[in-house]
Parts: sequence; C-alpha cells; structure tokens
Amino acid sequence: MRLSMSQSMETFERDYKKPGNTIFQALLGGVDPFDVWLGPFYVGFFGIVSITAIVLGVLVILISVGQYGDWDLWRANIPSPLRQYGLGPAPFLHGGAWQLVVVLATVSFVAWGLREVDICRKLEMGFHIPAMFSLAISAWVVLQILRPLAMGCWCEGFDLSFTGHLTWVSNTGFRYMNFYDNPFHAYAVLGFFLTAMVLAMHGSAILGTYNTDPDPNVEMRREDSFWRDYVGYSIGEYGIHRLGFYLAVYTLIMSDLCIFTSGTLVKDWVQFWHPF
Amino acid sequence: MATVFSHHPPEPLEEAEPSVLDSADPLGIRAGRAMRIDLLALLKVDTQIGTIWLGTWGILSTLSFLAGLLVFYIGALDQAGGSFWVMVRYFGNIQLAPPDGLSLAHSLRDGGYWQIVTGFWAFSVLFWAGRLWERLARHKWRPFLLWAWLSAIFLTSVIWVWHPLLVGSWSDAPALGLNADLQWAQNFSVLWGNLYYNPFHQLAIFFLFGSTMLWGMHGATILATSSEGSHHEDAEIKNMTSGSQKAALFWRWTMGFNAFPKSIHDWLWWFAVGVVLSSGIGILATGTMTNNWYAWGVDHGTVLQYGPMTRSSINQHPRPMPPMTGPSGYMPAQGKI
Repeated sequence: MRLSMSQSMETFERDYKKPGNTIFQALLGGVDPFDVWLGPFYVGFFGIVSITAIVLGVLVILISVGQYGDWDLWRANIPSPLRQYGLGPAPFLHGGAWQLVVVLATVSFVAWGLREVDICRKLEMGFHIPAMFSLAISAWVVLQILRPLAMGCWCEGFDLSFTGHLTWVSNTGFRYMNFYDNPFHAYAVLGFFLTAMVLAMHGSAILGTYNTDPDPNVEMRREDSFWRDYVGYSIGEYGIHRLGFYLAVYTLIMSDLCIFTSGTLVKDWVQFWHPF
Repeated sequence: MATVFSHHPPEPLEEAEPSVLDSADPLGIRAGRAMRIDLLALLKVDTQIGTIWLGTWGILSTLSFLAGLLVFYIGALDQAGGSFWVMVRYFGNIQLAPPDGLSLAHSLRDGGYWQIVTGFWAFSVLFWAGRLWERLARHKWRPFLLWAWLSAIFLTSVIWVWHPLLVGSWSDAPALGLNADLQWAQNFSVLWGNLYYNPFHQLAIFFLFGSTMLWGMHGATILATSSEGSHHEDAEIKNMTSGSQKAALFWRWTMGFNAFPKSIHDWLWWFAVGVVLSSGIGILATGTMTNNWYAWGVDHGTVLQYGPMTRSSINQHPRPMPPMTGPSGYMPAQGKI
C-alpha cells in the first residue's frame, strides 16, 4: 500500500502543476520568467532570490574561512563584529563577513517564505505554513538584528559556526545571573516540552491505529474512545492539529520575548524577582 | 458565536462499545457523565467531555499521586513553620530537599519528606504505565504510546534515581519545589562543568527544537489543507485524497522531499521520543563519562578557541591586523562578557 502511494505521486503531481497565479504576476502582471519546476523543486522568482542569497552567503563564508587559513569546518568560525565597531560596519575579518552573511541569510529566509506563499497559491491551500515559517524566522531576526540594535552593538549577535554559537549560548545563559529565572525562558521551555509531549501523543495515536488493509470491511480503530477512557477527553483529529500549531506559535513567541528582554530591559534575572 | 448558540440539534454523545476487557476489571468503571461543552466549539476542538475510565491501575496511580501530594503539602507546611499563609505567600521558595548519601534519611526534614514523596510519585507513574498498557490492549492500539511514556519514565528515573545512585548521593537529584527546579537546573549544569557542552544535551535540544518545528510544520500543513479532509489521517493513510496530495506536494516543491500521511507520524514520534532518550543518556554520562563537560568539550574540540594556539583565530591571519586590546596582544574572548 505504501509502495503504491509513492508510485502514484508521479501521476497526481501532473494534475497540480499549473502555470501562473504567482505573487510576481499579481504585482507586476505579465509572465513570471521563473514560474517553472526543477526536478522536485518549484523555482519561482523568490526561489531565484533565495538561492542567489544562499550562494552569495556561502561564498562569503568560504572566503572568510579561507582568509583565516583553517579549512577544518568543525573549528571554522565567522565571528560577530568586535565591540569597538558598535552598530557601524566592521572590517571583513572583524565581523564584516558576519554582517554580510546575516543580511544575505535574512534575505534568503524572507524570500523562502514568499516562495512558500507562491506554492500555497498554486496548490490553492491555506497560508498556515508560510505564517508559521515567518514566526520561525522571527527568532533569527530577534537574535541577530533586533536585539543587537536594541543593545547598540552588532557584537551581541552570535558567531556563525558550530563552536561559536555554543559559546554564545553558554555566555549569554550565564551573563544575566541565572537564565532559568527569566520567566519567558521558563514559559518557552514549558512550550518546548509540551510540544514534544503532544507530538508523541499524536504520533502514537496515528501509528497505533492506522490500517492499510485494502479490504474496506476491515474496521478502522477508534481513536476518540481510547482518549476518553484514558484522560476523559478527546480533542479530535482536527483539534489536535490546532493544538499543536498554537503550541508551536506560543513557544516561538515566548522564545522571542525571552531573548529580546535579556540585556535590554533586564540585566539580572535573579534581581528581577526582588525589585525593592 | 453563531455556530455556538445556533439551534442545530445537538450531536449525539459517543460512548465506548462494551468489551470483555472492561468487565474483567473489578474497578472497571466509566466515571462521570458524557456531556457537551459548547464553548469548546469556539476553539474548533471536540466538544464532548467524559466519560473517563477508572480501572484498578488508574485508581492505584491516582491514590499514589495524591498520597505523595499530601506528604508534599505536609512538608511544605512544616517548612513554613506551620503557618498556612506563610506557605502560600512563599510557595515558590518551598523546597523539600533530598538527603546526602544513599541511605534512608535520618529525619523527615533532612530528606525524609523528599524520599517519601519521590517514592509515591515513582509508583504513581509506574501504575500509570500499567493503566496505559491495559487501555491500549483494550482498544487494540499498537503500543507506541506506552513506549513513549516509558521513555519519559526513563528520563525522570535517570534524574531522580539512576544518576544519584551512580554518583553516590540523592542530593544530586532535584529538590521538590518551584524555584528549586530552576535552581537545580542551573546548579547541576555548573556543578558538572557546564552542561551546554554535553553532546547528548546538545542532541536533546536539537530534538526539542525539532519537535516544536515539526509541530509547526505538521500542524500548519494539516490546517492549511483540512478543507479537503487531510485531517482524517487514518483514512488518508489508506487512500490519499486531494488534501494529503497537496500537503505532500507542498513540501516536495518547497524542499525537494516530503513525507506521507503515515511516515510523517514516524518523524513526529521519533523526534519527541529522541528528546527524552537523548537527555537520559546525557545525564547517565554525567559524573561517569566525565565530571566536567567544559573540559570534555575542550578535549574534543567543541569549545570555541581564541588566541594564538588555534589556527582559526583572528590573530593567525596572514595579513597585518589592526592592534588588538588585551594582555600581550592576544585577543580576549571578543569582549563579549
């Protein structure tokens, strides 16, 4: 049964590949020159923008790594600007490369989201996925752009590398006395654990009950009656996706608040609870 | 609001069908009364509440939990000097701490409360696993939910039991209390040399963020295509209709890869279970594999190195650089602290 699904992919995909109805056309009219598919990918005007920004960003990273002279990508690091450059431009190896990569990555993320909007328009479906993706990008924008702006220094952004971003997390976590006393951090952690728990419950419900028997007389297992027995309530097959969606929204908003308030509004999360 | 207070005839309440496994349990009672809470329709979730299955395992689990809660409040009241209002006012600071060493506590205040409460709650979650096993069998589910629950018990038992046993003191386990939880997280990290550099902790955070991301992706995908029925996932696994076809094609066209109605739930389940499995392994490795994760990170190259010893430092740049601040011309760690 599963095999036949992947085979039918090729057959039904043809029915949905329709030209037109892109943002580019809605705004500018005429023909969208990039309204094509490349293998499994949809290209689109914003796909070209996004891939261009990605390629340029990777080039900047490679040039920067080459200039440092160490091709071990595990150790390679694109540092954020030194504190002395404040909110101004930094020389290439003292943070200028970081500034370029952050700009290019942000352009690429936003274009990727607009490309998702194009795909939603083509498939005539809701815009929930690009909306959720925008919220995910907001974490990057808050961390690398808004909070550094509010703190008055690009040096507040995290280094772009494996070891660099870990060090930034560790430093930032200990810098405001006790990050666990940050209430938004606690609410965000709660949200992360709740999404994981509800995810396990939903995954278990589907994996535990589906059947692929081609015989239509084989009875489908009931999910609702189990949940009512187990916890007294079943949220339903539509409701569970609403719950998961809004748990993710909640978690992302709390994460944004958690990091944006640290250092800007509050310098010491222990003292925060003892204002007088 | 129109849908909530409309005059549609109410949907019939659903009841579980009778089963041999139900009548086999002497405490097999469906408690409460099935009813509709119409306000839930505003949230677009199911409106039926109840009934709930009691069952021997469920009764045992609940009694065990309530007994632990009772001892917790007795301990909290004791810590508040017997004053109920002091306990309420400073409830966040109430903490029932574990004893030093691995023996039974000498007194209630020196860890006895902690041992009793923890013991009751350990039995409570194990009885709950029994309830889960029994109900899953009754409804003929494959036992994915039981394995997920046992994985969660694996993490909590590592934190409260196996790690303290391995390092030789109950005092390494969290004290019971609101602020005590937060303090434990901070102190445990610092005590073992900065848990951020524990690779299993890093992997657990990857799964944790990944779980939120997957809920965002899966929830959004289903909500965006539910007008064509993609949320009837059982039926869609059997036979994909236009909603699931669009859901699959969206991801194929976006990132060149897509899951199917069944396989997406494999991804969801393993990411969620990966959180607790990876966390548990990380804490088992703490104090055994190393007692200083920062030192471990330095040894294994996961700590960012600045200064002349590392070729990737700015100082090693072949061209002349602007003068650096700091002793002997070495760059301090970017002055970030």
